[in-house]
Amino acid sequence: MVQLVVFQLAGETYGVDINYVHEIIRLQPITEVPRTPDFIEGVINLRGRIIPVIDLHKRFGLPPAETTNNTRIMVVEVGGMTVGMIVDAVSEVLRLPEENIEPPPPIIKGVDVAYLKGVGKWEDKLIILLDLDRVLQEKEQEELKQEFGPEVATA
Amino acid sequence: MNEFDMSQYLSLFLDEAEEQLQQLDEAVVLLEQEPNNRELLNKIFRIAHTLKGSSASMGFEKMATLTHRMESVLDSLRQGKLAVTPAIADLLLACLDKLKELKDKLSEGQEGEVDIEALVRRLEEVLNEGIGGEQVPVSPAVEQPLQLDDVEENVIRAAEVRGWRAYEIKVELEPDCRMKGARAFLVFNNLKDLGEIIKSEPHTQELEAEKFENTFRLAFVTKEDADTVANVIKSISEIKEVTVRPIVLEEEQGPAPGSPLQPDASKLSPAGETYLKRGMERRVTQTVRVDVQRLEALMNLVGELVIDRTRLAEVSSNLRNRLGNEELIETLDEISMHIGRITSELQEEIMKARMFPIDQVFNRFPRMVRDLAHKAGKEIEFIVEGRETELDRTVIEEIGDPLIHLLRNAIDHGIESPEERVRLGKPRYGTIILKAFHQENQIVITVQDDGRGMDPEVLKQRAVERGLITPEAAAKLTKREALDLIFLPGFSTSERVTDVSGRGVGMDIVKAHLEKINGTIDIKTTPGAGTCFTIKLPLTLAINRSLLVTLGDQVYALPLANVVEIIEVDPQQIRRIQQQEVVVVRGQVLPLMHLAKALGIKRDCYFSGRKAAVVIVGLAEKRVGFIVDTLIGEQEIVIKSLGNYIGKIPGIAGATIMGDGRVALILDVHSLLSLLETEAQGALAS
Repeated sequence: MVQLVVFQLAGETYGVDINYVHEIIRLQPITEVPRTPDFIEGVINLRGRIIPVIDLHKRFGLPPAETTNNTRIMVVEVGGMTVGMIVDAVSEVLRLPEENIEPPPPIIKGVDVAYLKGVGKWEDKLIILLDLDRVLQEKEQEELKQEFGPEVATA
Repeated sequence: MNEFDMSQYLSLFLDEAEEQLQQLDEAVVLLEQEPNNRELLNKIFRIAHTLKGSSASMGFEKMATLTHRMESVLDSLRQGKLAVTPAIADLLLACLDKLKELKDKLSEGQEGEVDIEALVRRLEEVLNEGIGGEQVPVSPAVEQPLQLDDVEENVIRAAEVRGWRAYEIKVELEPDCRMKGARAFLVFNNLKDLGEIIKSEPHTQELEAEKFENTFRLAFVTKEDADTVANVIKSISEIKEVTVRPIVLEEEQGPAPGSPLQPDASKLSPAGETYLKRGMERRVTQTVRVDVQRLEALMNLVGELVIDRTRLAEVSSNLRNRLGNEELIETLDEISMHIGRITSELQEEIMKARMFPIDQVFNRFPRMVRDLAHKAGKEIEFIVEGRETELDRTVIEEIGDPLIHLLRNAIDHGIESPEERVRLGKPRYGTIILKAFHQENQIVITVQDDGRGMDPEVLKQRAVERGLITPEAAAKLTKREALDLIFLPGFSTSERVTDVSGRGVGMDIVKAHLEKINGTIDIKTTPGAGTCFTIKLPLTLAINRSLLVTLGDQVYALPLANVVEIIEVDPQQIRRIQQQEVVVVRGQVLPLMHLAKALGIKRDCYFSGRKAAVVIVGLAEKRVGFIVDTLIGEQEIVIKSLGNYIGKIPGIAGATIMGDGRVALILDVHSLLSLLETEAQGALAS
């Protein structure tokens, strides 16, 4: 069984392993950080810690969404980094048997397959499972490198 | 003993050894200048003795052997059988270097291949010459009487006044004794009924841990006679031998009237005075070693308290608006005020806990200056002031190298040779003064020499010769600007390359180091009369006094150390010179830039107001005026990193959390200015 935190993003249902999820907080004022990639919204104060916040819409090149009362920051911890991710809504926590998870299909609406772990089937819904390691690490490094040169990304 | 415990002892031993070697280093250098300072000699002897004891008890034979021989020489000095000569000081310092080498090897695990034979032989030669071929005792520690410090001697004197007697007891256990620790404990226990044990060698903990051979020694005061004491110990089984000898103290110290020591003691150099005073302070302050991480964690917690305090105040003002003046709200106000005060005090105390006296860096300099002066054939009096000045440990770590460079330069290039000085009518020996003090929110360190000084014209000439600037550019430089030439990479004023400095590196590195920690350096020089370098540093890198400004709804913090001045500029005064907006301030042309533009924030950078607020920032000689939307004011801020995910952003030093819980970015003026420079060059090129 896998325990998933299920959330909404641009009309699709996504899930991440609950072990990565530190907490879920309401949207709060974000301090912009200049000279960072577009998808980095800025930083917030999480009880005395400075946490970067990324916008998953921009990260995946999805159409931008309005901020609503349901908009949340999902704080995840991956590879020793704590990062907040803006999502449209967090719906529930699910237990999904492993056999319900299939490898990602070659083409899926919206997100690049490289960021996916697979697709989970639950009742009549499809849950897109994100590979957070890749979302937060691989591509970012390259994009940061492109914008600022290698010394920035490795710092 | 399991391994973990052993390594714990080892690190403790290494820490102590480091401190002891440092103290010895300083003291021996001072002793060379004041060969008759008996108090100093005693101190050196005591430290060396402690080091010998601890290294022997850790089983580090080479270290123990070497310190033991040193101790013998020191003892001869103490007894006047040998005199303190430069040769002996050299030998002692060489021993200290060897001990440092041993200590470094130990921190890697083993005493290793360090060769101490040559030094041991030299020490023995010195001893034999001085005291007529007398044999040096072979086995360490045993032949020497038990060494007592002042406190212990005082206890004995006090006991003698009461009519008690002091004995040195040597207990030898049977070689096959099984539970040595337990036997030692029994000895202690039985003796307790008769009097007081004031010292044991090895130390009680080591005895309990059975970290000793078969013998240990005690200093004991009692009303009983020696035989009674011996019999009480002998009644314990597995004791092979007990010797009890009365302890005879040396005459009370203090120079006798008319003795040759007195004039010396009264004309102690300033350095000497602080040295001795410091030694005493060290004895009374109790310290604990704390992991810096722990202090940082504490600091973070206090940061959270500060935010909650602000929220508490908000809640109580909201309540007041809703409910009017209730007694409960008054109480709430009172509590929130009190919490506020305590939080600030807490913050201050933790800050202080991170501070170290600058002596941690200064203490190695007297030795260094002495050695370098010898090498360069100069005579130098080195004066250190303000050793107790405290600053943050992060700053301390960075300040050592720049100071070494400055001192080397002063010795090598600044101070003239003794002959030349005499010819110029100056005192034969040059003086270098190293001074540290607090000034407002900064630490000021000056390195001053009375050497030949620097001639701006010569500097210009040299810079042109090295191809660092064109002759035309050189001609335009003011005196001050000419002095700044020495900070250019590849500039060196030395006629010849020496072992000490003059390899064409130096001042540029000094400057780079200082800028890294938000420091500035300034030069004052008079040809023929000397040079003074003034370094200004922030008190700490973790907390920073900043000027808060806004751009739109975002707050930015500019470290006050970089803020030169705040001015208002009428938009009509702004001129454009080659794509660059400038304004003339008191006759000086100041480049202007909107801070938002400098940071690369995409927004409208024109100002509609009648006057623009301009913050002039300075880094060394560079000045730039940043236009901001509004000024908020000054505040102490705690610097936090943006974390690994975002990494290092040029122009941004980190972030801080403000009273209302929002995050403000802290500007890194150094990297921002160099970024702007590169961008400007890029724009010109394209």
